[in-house]
Amino acid sequence: MGTINSALSIISQALDANQQALNVVANNVANANTPGYTRETPDWKENQPLNENGNLIGQGVSETGATSQRDRVLLTRMDQQQQLVSSTGSRLTALNTLQALFTVDSGSTSSKAGDIGSDITSFFNSFSKLEANSTDNSLRQGVLSAAGTLAGDISNAAASLNEQRSALDQETSGVADQVNSLTSDIAQLNVQIQTTSPTGDAGTLEDQRQLDLTDLSKLVGINQITSNNNGLAITTTSGQLLVSNGSSYTMTTGLVGGVTDFFVGNTDITSQLATGGGSLGGNLTARDQDIPSAINSLDQLAYSISTAVNQQNNAGTDYDGNTGTAANPLNIFSQPTTVAGSAASMSVVMTDPNQIAAASLGNGTGDNSNAVTMAELASKGIVNGETPTNYYSNFVTTLGSTVSNVETENTAQTASLTQLQTQNDALSGVNLNDEASSLSTLERSYQAASKVFSILNTVMASVLNLGEQTTVS
Amino acid sequence: MEQQAEHGQHPLLKELVIEASQALARLDAERLEELALSCQALNRDLARLDGDARRVLVPQAKDAAKDMAVFARVLEATRSNLDVMNRLRERRLGQLEYRAGFGPEWRRTESGHGNN
Repeated sequence: MGTINSALSIISQALDANQQALNVVANNVANANTPGYTRETPDWKENQPLNENGNLIGQGVSETGATSQRDRVLLTRMDQQQQLVSSTGSRLTALNTLQALFTVDSGSTSSKAGDIGSDITSFFNSFSKLEANSTDNSLRQGVLSAAGTLAGDISNAAASLNEQRSALDQETSGVADQVNSLTSDIAQLNVQIQTTSPTGDAGTLEDQRQLDLTDLSKLVGINQITSNNNGLAITTTSGQLLVSNGSSYTMTTGLVGGVTDFFVGNTDITSQLATGGGSLGGNLTARDQDIPSAINSLDQLAYSISTAVNQQNNAGTDYDGNTGTAANPLNIFSQPTTVAGSAASMSVVMTDPNQIAAASLGNGTGDNSNAVTMAELASKGIVNGETPTNYYSNFVTTLGSTVSNVETENTAQTASLTQLQTQNDALSGVNLNDEASSLSTLERSYQAASKVFSILNTVMASVLNLGEQTTVS
Repeated sequence: MEQQAEHGQHPLLKELVIEASQALARLDAERLEELALSCQALNRDLARLDGDARRVLVPQAKDAAKDMAVFARVLEATRSNLDVMNRLRERRLGQLEYRAGFGPEWRRTESGHGNN
């Protein structure tokens, strides 16, 4: 009888276990489209065998619960990759806006900031034209007109850059509230997880915490440290504590030097956040590094051109026989006192074309030798040792190179994140054989891609070094 | 292929590189293996082309240089991901082969050291 009862018991428990397993599967299906949901697999436990007259009789299996198929190492790596993608993504958006200012629009001859490169050439060419007939009023007027176009385009570009910086500042200031909301949620989830599931996976609670971590990673760079009883501490990548188990630390903002800085307690963590990652990191890098660098370059250009041209005009004699003095300088451009702010304030102050000092000091008004010297400024290293045209050209090239590098990084990081997501999806709720298959696909893809890269590299090197034979494989 | 090159019907190098990057991002091993074969064929054809025919590809190669940089970075990221996934796999397998026992909390089974 014992045997029959045991057999019935085994069947009954197996049916119960299967029913519970079906519930787990049903739960998986029902939540298939729930963001952040991690698939669960049933846990089976062998029941203690019965000892019947020295014979051990199996008691079948019971289902003891369900375990979410999550891998913390992989999820943490995905979060880290997400931080990089968000950082380069937001920086790239800002850089593209910045670059558009200096890129000639399609179907047009100028960019949003005009065409400063051509303006520089036109301005110094106007002195070359004046050389031919230094007493011609229309040619003198042409110099002032070209100066006005150059000054206008540089000051407009500086104004646009300052506007962009303000807009980015506005955008970043709102991130603190989003971060605080997420860190507060995570702290509360920590308490629930530590209370309800201190030793095992907490299922949907951990799904929710992971979703918050992913959202937080989109905003800022973070480190995750697991603590006792399934708790979690979160710091910025530089180590500033944001969450410790059930406590969250509020991020606040304040104006420092006209822009929004970020604080935890009394510590200003703005520069740490800029290098840490997330969209905030990318936007702060654009706000505090890329845009100021562009403004500095324009300031240097404006300062150097204004100073060199004004000095040279004051060294000559104008059409009315006057020479510039400290009290009454013959300045074409407003004379900046410092490099900073020179671009935004660049303007033409000369209104009378007769004040252009085409003649050298002591020569008659028909002389053109100072106009020749002014025209020659175009080929002199008056801007940090470079000619104005080369300086501007290098600035635009450097900006383009930065955009290109960030674009490359963003594309590669996005691809890497896609791969990790694919691997994570393949990992959830599958057995070790399926997992091996997924890993094998990754390995195969890598091997094949290495081969493609190697051959293309050979092909391109061969094509670019004409005459060299290619390796036939 | 040679004829195609003369008539400009080769897929542009740039397109090849971009497609390889995209296939690698989505871990499309089959497509990458096809591309590897195509690249081998291209390389063989290229060896047979004369100087003029090869010169046609120079602007293409220059045009594709930036995308090659992207491809190189995706490849590097994949290598890194592969390392992580291999370490995870080893850890999982290790957990199967370790079990609670006497003395040390974990001990390696015989199959682990290959003496069985």
